[in-house]
Amino acid sequence: MITAVIIAVFVVGVVAAALSAAARRDRRAPDDIASFRRQIDALSPEARRQTSDRMKPSERSASGDDGADDT
Amino acid sequence: MARDLAIDLGTANTLVYMKGRGIVLNEPSVIALNRQTGEVLATGREAWQMIGRTPGYIVAVRPLRGGAITDFEITERMIRLLLQRVGVSRFTRPKVVICVPSAITEVERRAVTDAARRAGAADANLIEQPMAAAIGADLPIDEPVGNMVIDIGGGTSETAVISLGGIVALEAVRVGSFDIDAAIQNFVRREHGIAIGERTAEEIKVAIGSADPTPDEHQAEVRGRDLMTGLPKTVLLTPEEVRYAIEDVVSSIVASVIRCLSKAPPELSQDFLVRGMFLVGGGGLLRGLAERIERETEVPVRMSNVPLEAVVLGAGHVIEHYDALKGMFMGARR
Repeated sequence: MITAVIIAVFVVGVVAAALSAAARRDRRAPDDIASFRRQIDALSPEARRQTSDRMKPSERSASGDDGADDT
Repeated sequence: MARDLAIDLGTANTLVYMKGRGIVLNEPSVIALNRQTGEVLATGREAWQMIGRTPGYIVAVRPLRGGAITDFEITERMIRLLLQRVGVSRFTRPKVVICVPSAITEVERRAVTDAARRAGAADANLIEQPMAAAIGADLPIDEPVGNMVIDIGGGTSETAVISLGGIVALEAVRVGSFDIDAAIQNFVRREHGIAIGERTAEEIKVAIGSADPTPDEHQAEVRGRDLMTGLPKTVLLTPEEVRYAIEDVVSSIVASVIRCLSKAPPELSQDFLVRGMFLVGGGGLLRGLAERIERETEVPVRMSNVPLEAVVLGAGHVIEHYDALKGMFMGARR
């Protein structure tokens, strides 16, 4: 009787773990696609324009600088 | 409220981008210390002017060599001072993105992040310099086309092929414009018997250095110390001599570009012929280098509009879109 209960609990546990793993895998797939999409959108020229526009004032002020030649 | 920062911790110069503001600091990566007390006497441009001109108890050093930290403690102090100068205090701890050469080891990687955290950063993440340079140089890396970027810095030269927001092929060598300066120093010592400092060698490179013959070449007067007599001496140096002196360094940079081209998938290779390769970094400003790479690879080379700032600008863009682009940090993809 006790053995049967232990086996039943074990089987239920294994099934629950398998179901949750499958559910997690299903959830992760669209998440990965969504984050890749967000990354690509954030790298687009439109998204980058604002950052490169911030460069322009310092570019003007640096034009008379000593011209250090390395980065 | 702390404003997040992007730092291009270069062997030669350090640039800092502040979120929402743009580039707020651009100075040589040099620190001057009192050797006896360990006290910091100057950083940045002020310390750079001291190189080779200090009395015995003062030492002006570059704590990074070949893009890697050679002195952890001094680098940490330099980062701490940089952060203080841009307004970081004990109560405002920003997130920091640091640009590093792609070829750094795991130990060096940890050294950089630890140095930034100890210096006051709440969180420190690293991004590869060629990737940051490609973002900063406005290359269409969001598209499925081959973008090739060559970043020649003070201590490293890196070539990367980037497509769809990721690095497809990469080649890095620990050779950069400081090696060009050192080659000029050695040549003048060997062939003319005079000793010159690293700043003089850099001035020679800027004045008459070239990787390929260029129009309007002229000789330069070089002043140094005669190794035999110990007296000041002047010699004339020709552009041909400088080209000969730096040939090994230049050919090793060109060879690394060729190796990267050969690693690229064929579908992307054809894009390079149409779109060309983009040259960024201060080393790319060496006269005739773009032409030399173009001649040896038969691929057009284009210079970025912002060769010195492209890397920090790219990292700055990552700071501006932190949540969307945090997958691009080193280690996040592995």
